Amino acid sequence: MPRETSLVTIIGEDSYKKLRSSRCLLVGAGGIGSELLKDIILMEFGEIHIVDLDTIDLSNLNRQFLFRQKDIKQPKSTTAVKAVQHFNNSKLVPYQGNVMDISTFPLHWFEQFDIIFNALDNLAARRYVNKISQFLSLPLIESGTAGFDGYMQPIIPGKTECFECTKKETPKTFPVCTIRSTPSQPIHCIVWAKNFLFNQLFASETSGNEDDNNQDWGTDDAEEIKRIKQETNELYELQKIIISRDASRIPEILNKLFIQDINKLLAIENLWKTRTKPVPLSDSQINTPTKTAQSASNSVGTIQEQISNFINITQKLMDRYPKEQNHIEFDKDDADTLEFVATAANIRSHIFNIPMKSVFDIKQIAGNIIPAIATTNAIVAGASSLISLRVLNLLKYAPTTKYTDLNMAFTAKASNLSQNRYLSNPKLAPPNKNCPVCSKVCRGVIKLSSDCLNKMKLSDLVVSIREKYSYPQDISLLDASNQRLLFDYDFEDLNDRTLSEINLGNGSIILFSDEEGDTMIRKAIELFLDVDDELPCNTCSLPDVEVPLIKANNSPSKNEEEEKNEKGADVVATTNSHGEEGIVILGDDEGEIIIDAEPINGSKKRPVDTEISEAPSNKRTKLVNEPTNSDIVELD
Amino acid sequence: MTEGKLSEDEIALYDRQIRLWGMAAQANMRSARVLLINLGAIGSEISKSIVLSGIGHLTILDGHRVTEEDLGSQFFVGSEDVGQWKLEAAKDRIQDLNPRVELKFDKQALHEKDEIFFQQFDLVVATEMKADEAIKVNKLTRKLNIPLYVAGSNGLFAYVFIDLIEFVSEDEKLRSIRPTVVGPVSSNRSIIEITTRKDEEDETKVYERIKTRNSYKSLEEVLCTATLKEKLTRRQLKRVTSILPLTLTLLQQELNEGSEKIGFELLNREAAAWCGKLGVPMAILNDEYMQQIINQRYIEFAPVAAIIGGTVAQDVINILGKRLSPLNNFIVFDGVTLDMPIFEF
Repeated sequence: MPRETSLVTIIGEDSYKKLRSSRCLLVGAGGIGSELLKDIILMEFGEIHIVDLDTIDLSNLNRQFLFRQKDIKQPKSTTAVKAVQHFNNSKLVPYQGNVMDISTFPLHWFEQFDIIFNALDNLAARRYVNKISQFLSLPLIESGTAGFDGYMQPIIPGKTECFECTKKETPKTFPVCTIRSTPSQPIHCIVWAKNFLFNQLFASETSGNEDDNNQDWGTDDAEEIKRIKQETNELYELQKIIISRDASRIPEILNKLFIQDINKLLAIENLWKTRTKPVPLSDSQINTPTKTAQSASNSVGTIQEQISNFINITQKLMDRYPKEQNHIEFDKDDADTLEFVATAANIRSHIFNIPMKSVFDIKQIAGNIIPAIATTNAIVAGASSLISLRVLNLLKYAPTTKYTDLNMAFTAKASNLSQNRYLSNPKLAPPNKNCPVCSKVCRGVIKLSSDCLNKMKLSDLVVSIREKYSYPQDISLLDASNQRLLFDYDFEDLNDRTLSEINLGNGSIILFSDEEGDTMIRKAIELFLDVDDELPCNTCSLPDVEVPLIKANNSPSKNEEEEKNEKGADVVATTNSHGEEGIVILGDDEGEIIIDAEPINGSKKRPVDTEISEAPSNKRTKLVNEPTNSDIVELD
Repeated sequence: MTEGKLSEDEIALYDRQIRLWGMAAQANMRSARVLLINLGAIGSEISKSIVLSGIGHLTILDGHRVTEEDLGSQFFVGSEDVGQWKLEAAKDRIQDLNPRVELKFDKQALHEKDEIFFQQFDLVVATEMKADEAIKVNKLTRKLNIPLYVAGSNGLFAYVFIDLIEFVSEDEKLRSIRPTVVGPVSSNRSIIEITTRKDEEDETKVYERIKTRNSYKSLEEVLCTATLKEKLTRRQLKRVTSILPLTLTLLQQELNEGSEKIGFELLNREAAAWCGKLGVPMAILNDEYMQQIINQRYIEFAPVAAIIGGTVAQDVINILGKRLSPLNNFIVFDGVTLDMPIFEF
């Protein structure tokens, strides 16, 4: 009997034909992605496009079963496609690229797919694909794992909760003063070593002018703030030692960091009323050379070994510094940078009576490594694949009449949520009406030919949108990607500029709002500019979307956005230096902790974030935040 | 395999899982010897996961040749392998997953295997076999005191049976407002010892190290005595998935008649009887599911195999690593609703 016999028995001949002619997008070919690719190939999807930016790393091989030792440093997407050839029966199209790169993957490229599977490891891309799915009304199967914990959630735009309907885990934050002055846990010292010390010595510009006016120091103690500022300036002095490449001056660094600075801290008596006082290193500890102990990554050496390792690794980085254009980034997989951070953190820990950690453990904290195993990924990918049959309505004996009858899935037993359920399968919730992404505004896509960008004036666009959706005279128009005001009743400066002159282009999203109505207003609409070179010249077609009248107080409040922006000054641990917001839990793979005393990106990225805490189903957060032994799972 | 410390290479390779279960568990796994019976869809998933995880030794016993249908649900075989021994087709692909694992491929039939063969293993996983065969294997594993997992699927519907005979597990968890107490927690599980330790960084956090004794029944006994009466509340009984009585009916059918075919009437009657034994209302049975489980009987389906195989492999890894409480003792899976309850019989 032919290979599809079993499948046909399960889903029937008609559904089998539909599957063979359907096209899906798999975003990510890592942990979950490898598993999903295998499953959806065996389910005989006609065409599968696979996007992944990454290359293969040794630490992937414990779970990403399509990759081998010899594949290290090769692109994941193309390697995965080669690895499945012996059992593949679908058309596979791999791309090595970032799914968020609009020039490679314009919006209309996504339109070819019937369904999207997310197998991602970072929040930024999850949010992006979710947004695409909402604009195109494309079903999305979202999933994530962290160690034993896994979840899968189908998202049917307009019918069920989207990825943003529930609040996501926010990155850990530490006040500046805890990191700089009063550490009490290893992570405080690691963050200090990585984000302040390492960056200051090896990755910062060689100028001493730090914009610190809008810093939240986490303390009102003027003396302490002065000390922190002073210390920052002194770090620039230390950088000069690095530039000098004079290894004999390394003890000066130790002296400054671990004796002088600690003594200055000790002088601020307020700090030590309720805390154990730190004990600075002694001159003899710094100046007594010891033989270097090449300790194993999973053991902790003595303080004396830490000091001599610090000296050696600093010398090594000093030598690398000019060869790398005076800029070395911390990378957990760059052994030298990791060693520097580990030794510096451990010396500081020792001083503050905090337990020292092994390099193995410090790597996890500094690199924000999320544990990952094959089994959880296999289970979550299996659940994604199965639910896709129902999202596409291919099971005749279980027809999908209401999308809120479909199920999401969580690992219940493994996550310690239940002792009598391996998976829990709550039904999908309808969209959260306060969700900024899927519910607060209407959405649509403007199809533009590229010549239009250079010809069309902003005022023309405003007029055509106003007329198309019956907005009143008084409206506002924002560039939603950076909350830049483009037009409102007393701002018409940009009216005669073309779209490209005001930096609107492919992938721009504009927000058009009614500013006139007293009791009833036209709902705001978010429009995605999809520029397509294939379109005939002068094409600018607005989507046929019904934009309803709603009660006035439902409009997104700008005041909230501003408030949020102002208080964003805690030190934030986030994914990477490009200012993307951090994913701490959902990933299959690592991101990076960054400590940053400025508001993330200085932007109003998620205007109504604070409003969605009362979201209807918040089980994902629950899964992650409060593992307990009780059975929280209620079905139906 | 060598006992003791992990090498730096192993630490680098297994980094992401050592961060989950620790160096000691990883070292324990390296000394474990596992037997997997049958390399079907579920068997492929299990062998993939436990070979990746870095187990010491795996023997795969399978005497089948690759069929066209296998191509629809299995990823260690390809169309050029049809007609070949499945183990011959799959063995390089499996070894390739992790050259550190010692693998043995054995095409001899199960019924030719004796006690001495079984004795060399720390754990046996039996997949996609009839209940009568599974019971024979179970008798041996009980006699030799070897943990056994049995897993099978009928299309979108699947089950796992676990018999670790008796197993003492240790879990660690944060102490809640109500501290854990020694004594039985369910019909098969009993807490026998609790020790506490303080968090080294945060003294307000206290961890409880809990020793739990898990007792198990043989498959034969489960098929005779399984019930949920007095284990679940009335409300819970009403919500039990129909896959449970249907699966038990099919397994028992394999014993009674040795027959693969079962008609709708017979299934309906026997499943209703099982509902009575279990103490669940007959109303949970529905015609559509009964018809489908008949149509899909013995069919392998890749995503179902991924979930069932992942579940079994994870538990195998947990008990070999001597961490976390094991499954106990009967799981069913409904691939339509993703419902996956655990029952203690």
